[in-house]
Amino acid sequence: MTDLSADTAPRRSARTPRPLAPAKRFLRILRPYLYLAPAIACFVVWIYEPLAQAFVLSFQQWNLLPTSPKTWVGLDNYRNIFDLPKFWQALGNTWYYLMGLLPLAVGLPLVIALFTQDLPARSRNLYRALIFVPMIVPPVVAAAVWRWLLDPNHGILNLGLQGLGIEPVEFLSDPSIALWTITFITGWKLVGFATLILAAANAAIDESLIEAARLDGATKWEIIRDIRLPLLSPTLMLLVLMVVLLGAQWSFSYIHVLTEGGPLGSTTNIYYLLWQFGFGSLSVGWSSASAVILFVGFGLLAAALFALKAKVTFYDD
Amino acid sequence: MKTSLIALAFATSATMTSAQTIPESVTEPVTITFYNYNLASAGNGADATNKMIAEFEAANPNVTVKGVPVPPQDIATRLQADLVAGQPIDLVQMPFAALGFAAENLGAVALEDIVSEAELAGHFEGMVPNGLELGKLDGKTYGLAYTFSTPVLFYNADIFREVGLDPENPPATWEALKAAGDQIKATTDYLPLATGIYGPTALDWLMQGVIASNGGAVINADRTKMTFAEPEAIEAVEMLRSLAQAGITRNLGITAQMEGMAAGNTAMYLQTSAIQGYLVKGAEDNFELRAAAMPAFGDKPVKPSNSGSALSLHSTDPAKQRAAWELMKFLTSKRGYTIITSEIGYLPLRPEIVEDPEYLGEWVKDHPLLQPNLAQLKNLAPYVPLPGPNYLQIGISMMDAMEMATFGEDDDVKATLTEAQERTQRLMP
Amino acid sequence: MMTDAAKLSPMRTRRAPALASWDTAVGHALMIFVSLLCVFPIYWMIVTSLRPSNAIFSTNLWPDAASLDNYAYALQAVPMTRMLTNTFLVSLAVTLVQLLTGILAGYAFARWRFRGSAILFGAIALTWLVPLQVVMIPNYLLVARLGMIDTLGALILPHIASAFAIMLLAQSMRSFPTEVVEAARMDGATHWEILWQVIVPNLRGTIASLAILIFITTWNEYFWPLLLTRSTENSVVQIGLQMFISSEGTQWGPLMAASTMASLPILLIYLLLQRQVIASFMKSGLR
Repeated sequence: MTDLSADTAPRRSARTPRPLAPAKRFLRILRPYLYLAPAIACFVVWIYEPLAQAFVLSFQQWNLLPTSPKTWVGLDNYRNIFDLPKFWQALGNTWYYLMGLLPLAVGLPLVIALFTQDLPARSRNLYRALIFVPMIVPPVVAAAVWRWLLDPNHGILNLGLQGLGIEPVEFLSDPSIALWTITFITGWKLVGFATLILAAANAAIDESLIEAARLDGATKWEIIRDIRLPLLSPTLMLLVLMVVLLGAQWSFSYIHVLTEGGPLGSTTNIYYLLWQFGFGSLSVGWSSASAVILFVGFGLLAAALFALKAKVTFYDD
Repeated sequence: MKTSLIALAFATSATMTSAQTIPESVTEPVTITFYNYNLASAGNGADATNKMIAEFEAANPNVTVKGVPVPPQDIATRLQADLVAGQPIDLVQMPFAALGFAAENLGAVALEDIVSEAELAGHFEGMVPNGLELGKLDGKTYGLAYTFSTPVLFYNADIFREVGLDPENPPATWEALKAAGDQIKATTDYLPLATGIYGPTALDWLMQGVIASNGGAVINADRTKMTFAEPEAIEAVEMLRSLAQAGITRNLGITAQMEGMAAGNTAMYLQTSAIQGYLVKGAEDNFELRAAAMPAFGDKPVKPSNSGSALSLHSTDPAKQRAAWELMKFLTSKRGYTIITSEIGYLPLRPEIVEDPEYLGEWVKDHPLLQPNLAQLKNLAPYVPLPGPNYLQIGISMMDAMEMATFGEDDDVKATLTEAQERTQRLMP
Repeated sequence: MMTDAAKLSPMRTRRAPALASWDTAVGHALMIFVSLLCVFPIYWMIVTSLRPSNAIFSTNLWPDAASLDNYAYALQAVPMTRMLTNTFLVSLAVTLVQLLTGILAGYAFARWRFRGSAILFGAIALTWLVPLQVVMIPNYLLVARLGMIDTLGALILPHIASAFAIMLLAQSMRSFPTEVVEAARMDGATHWEILWQVIVPNLRGTIASLAILIFITTWNEYFWPLLLTRSTENSVVQIGLQMFISSEGTQWGPLMAASTMASLPILLIYLLLQRQVIASFMKSGLR
């Protein structure tokens, strides 16, 4: 057990191993776990222990009250959820949300971060501060303001469109548009967040690499393609992972405030649907089964992404 | 199996309380909690509630009331959590949709079990019988109707004049409403009609009234069978579908509807009278807002349903039960309803105070919008809470199907509702 | 090693300067468009907060008769200052604690290869998938057993660690040049010293960004505080904002005023910490 960094790049200076006393050796094995202990303890107590309970409860019908008995109902709770006609619709919508969010929450911020890095400090800071502004507004307020701006009758955007002779667009009540409107608003709120993360990662890139490439006559685009992008790829993957796993939850506030999943279920996603049926009232069976479905479903997706991530990322070791 | 579970829960909550008799009065200092959703939003509701609590405390120096603000959609969850966590729950402002759940699962106490018949009868004297029915389940009073309202048809009199409709004669039937809607649609850009029938926030309260007005019901009287795919219900939904197809009404979220009406872009709005204050504010210096009774199906009687809340008592300690009951009595007294009606805008369940100058007499003269609402009290068809631990899921599934049947692509209303009725029936206790 | 490379002002590509400036112009146009899109709704929030109540839905770009009535009302209707103070304390505590646990855990993942590391890392990422609502009630019961209901501590306790902080820090520590760490090791520094004296100061930019994000997330949290609220005085600002929203009509003017007041502190903190992000950028990586 020596301190290899978790990745594969060969060590340039191999250290000579020294023999260790058993106690010290034991401490050395224990050390990573000690560093992890506070975080792991938190997750076990506040998340995984309740999740384990939920797993058991998902096969039961019970209302949590100590005075009432738990009834074993087998897979009934799961069957009820899969029986919902909206379930598959919501699953499909979840996919569209993801597809819409990825360019907004990863692609656009990447372009912004790369572009603004070369600007003079003043305009760079200004742009980044402005782009960050949506982050600071409470989601429910952001949702309300967007609803006003997009209103078909008195929204400023539609007034503008009408001025250009275009029919008003029903951004939130047309079933074929509403989902994209909500995707846009979710993405709008996230651009600042992702830009901040990417800009920080970009800033951490060793400038000597870039300067060397530049002296070799590499163009700006070549530098981005051959140096910056590979070095940013772990952060990009982290962002992609976040969008995939959390995207459905991020859209939640906007769905909740703007459409409540409608019209005709066109904006509901899997997270919102399970929230509606599982957590609206405390019927523990429904909510536990919902939680298990979410966890297992997205967990498999995450596993696939992790596998992918191991393939494509590259570290500056 | 499911039924026996509920029965058992029922039995336990009954044995816990029925044997006790509560003391005549509060002799020792006692603190009770009052879970209240008016306190959870800033403004008139909270101010009036605090005022009533203060008046009650002044009159009952032994009782301290601790208000716990909880938004209405979270009340059932919160009570369940607090019950398990052992937090004291004494009095609750319970939304009607959750009342059945409260009686069966949250330990709501039937008033008949703790209060003497004479005292109960004395307090109920003068209250609207239809209103008292609202809180009864299986013949016992688990909730005392508190803040409640009925659906009314708000309309923008200026738009009526603009298109040549008579604002003195608002549509009284759905047929008339459709004709008016066509006229508005043909000549202006205004939305002819918005309704609060759909959407998760509404659940089924308004739909129950619409279907009842056509002689149907979403659930049978002893709450064992869903009946929303029976002919009367189908007919009612088909009527709504025809409005949607004609472009008279649209599938809008509740906030968008309210804002559209308040901003003067909607001609008619069928919604709970509880939002009146909000609309009045928007209409000020803007347009003339009026209200009419809920429309009828031909010459069938209108059966408006109710939204709002009842007071339910959850204490187990006799002294606290007495204190909570005293507070309950005060809140539903003539004085209580005067404050509730004039300051929050709900209906007075003691109609006599409307004439009485000591109470609402003067106030009513300046507030004509209350009238259609008061008139409806007589034909009120009480909201029927859906049964069992899955009540909410049943309600959402049913309303999803109703929305699909009204606004969806498929013209076959009957098929949509029948499928959903079979599915929800399986979730019944 | 190169220092202050970024100070060598805008990148000069010797091949096609004309093309580069064309690039830049397009870039600026895009940035201006995106910035406007980002700021306009917030501008609308502020303008609306200044409108009188019967002009809330006005589409004028300017508030015609600006007044501070909504602010006065919001301050009187909910204990705004008290709530802001509570929220600030909770957000600050959560930020500090999450950074601490994140730095420790991130270092463990980045520096050592140990049994179960992949599984633990995965388990941490998967905490994102556990809906808050399913753990909320068990957590509430735990808080009740600890006697912490209606305290600020209960708002902090479940947020001692966050998957995002750990993963992001592990990420940046992995990207940290090994030579620097090796050099410190050769000088006899312990892991603890390396972590706090070499790595943390050099990751200032990342840590500052992360701090901003944790702070905002905590600031905007709603469901967990809602469950814990028993009195408005001991609750947080999101609860206060929700008090202007109700199914019987949202009070938009006061809500926008309260939201503006709730957003300003975060903007200030962003600007403050942003200087850290920029400062580390100006130094451009490592000495």
